Amino acid sequence: MAMIPEGSYLPLYAGNNRTNVAAFYIDKHPVTNGEFQKFLESNPGWKRSAVKRLFADEGYLKHWLSDGMYSTAEKNSPVVNISWFAAKKYCECQGKRLPTTAEWERVAEAGWTVADGSSEPGFNEWILAMASKPAPRSLPAVGTAKANYYGVWDMHGLVWEWTLDFNSIMSTGESRAAPGTGDGLFCAGGSATSGDVSNYAAFLRYALRSSLKAGHVLQNLGFRCAADK
Amino acid sequence: MKKAVRYFILALTTVTAVSCSQKKQEVSSCCSTKQHESPEPLPAISGKSLFLLDSRWETYRNDTLEFEDLSGKPVIAAMIFTNCPSACPRIVADMKNIEVGLTAAEREQVRFLLISMDPKRDNPEQMRKFASDHRLDPDWIMIRSDRMATLEMANVLGVRINPLEDGGFDHSNTIHILNATGEIAYQQHGLAIEPAEILSQIRRLINQK
Repeated sequence: MAMIPEGSYLPLYAGNNRTNVAAFYIDKHPVTNGEFQKFLESNPGWKRSAVKRLFADEGYLKHWLSDGMYSTAEKNSPVVNISWFAAKKYCECQGKRLPTTAEWERVAEAGWTVADGSSEPGFNEWILAMASKPAPRSLPAVGTAKANYYGVWDMHGLVWEWTLDFNSIMSTGESRAAPGTGDGLFCAGGSATSGDVSNYAAFLRYALRSSLKAGHVLQNLGFRCAADK
Repeated sequence: MKKAVRYFILALTTVTAVSCSQKKQEVSSCCSTKQHESPEPLPAISGKSLFLLDSRWETYRNDTLEFEDLSGKPVIAAMIFTNCPSACPRIVADMKNIEVGLTAAEREQVRFLLISMDPKRDNPEQMRKFASDHRLDPDWIMIRSDRMATLEMANVLGVRINPLEDGGFDHSNTIHILNATGEIAYQQHGLAIEPAEILSQIRRLINQK
């Protein structure tokens, strides 16, 4: 795991108010099919055939060849078609937990050589290019693109990732109508409440999180784990 | 007795689940899935039942509760926090409207449940004060757990919770109806909803039994 020192990040809806994030550890790459298969060996209740519908929609691990096995070529590719419940359980069994959205976004802000990627020439453009690239049928292996400032791989461009508190993003009309907490964030012109209007990839992540339920599975949604420092 | 048997089984499972590498003592039970093969026959539940959750809850009467304990009667439930200034009293008022809409005989056949989304502040004493302030029938149940169990509960119910800097929360306003075997049978989204539809859903469940 990589240690991320105490610092701050700029939430999408917070104007220029950075949020402090305590020091923590985060996995250097997303959890792979191979790693998840090992977890299933000791936790057969989470296999495709056994998982309870409460904890994962149909489609859970549907890219695997069989109930307990992935395609060999995808051993080191990120595990996808995975629900929040399964991701949470996996991390707990490693003595870890899912990263909070704040922690995840703090790591995602990092460039290749500096902690603030937005100040690194070409970094935002690279993220945009990654975000608009369609996911290939078969996902490439983790850790093959380029590590960021903290030595963490694949925060951009490989898969979307679950966060512990993804359900803190309110959909419009659900909240007790407190102002400035995301209302109209995704409407035309709503981006005025965003601190960094160039951060289109962050918009996509927030929009995705606001649309997810914890049992959902997607072919380009995986996860990695974190731990307290 | 049922609980004692279950804990014994849990202890056994924990000891036998050696193949999962344990880095920390406190996660020793995490690799075991909840056992339902108890010697006592439990009601058949589906893979969508909230009774599958293995979290433990503390009630406002200082008892412990597992969701399975709610088996046998439909449950009318909502997630709230007692320091909530506006929406939570409203959602409780909506639940009381439902209660008033039931006949005495129907009332006997359902449970009312409030689940705290604020486990840090909603200790049993604080929950008792809320129950008293809102003149809740002593038959209502109010519970809290820890942060992780609360998050898991929010996610099985599809409730969105956004913690705010002032200690409060933005949250979905939903009243959930569970059937007698713990599945979500109906959800009413929003506040100050006329209770005719939800009452008919509750009556349907009562009559199914």
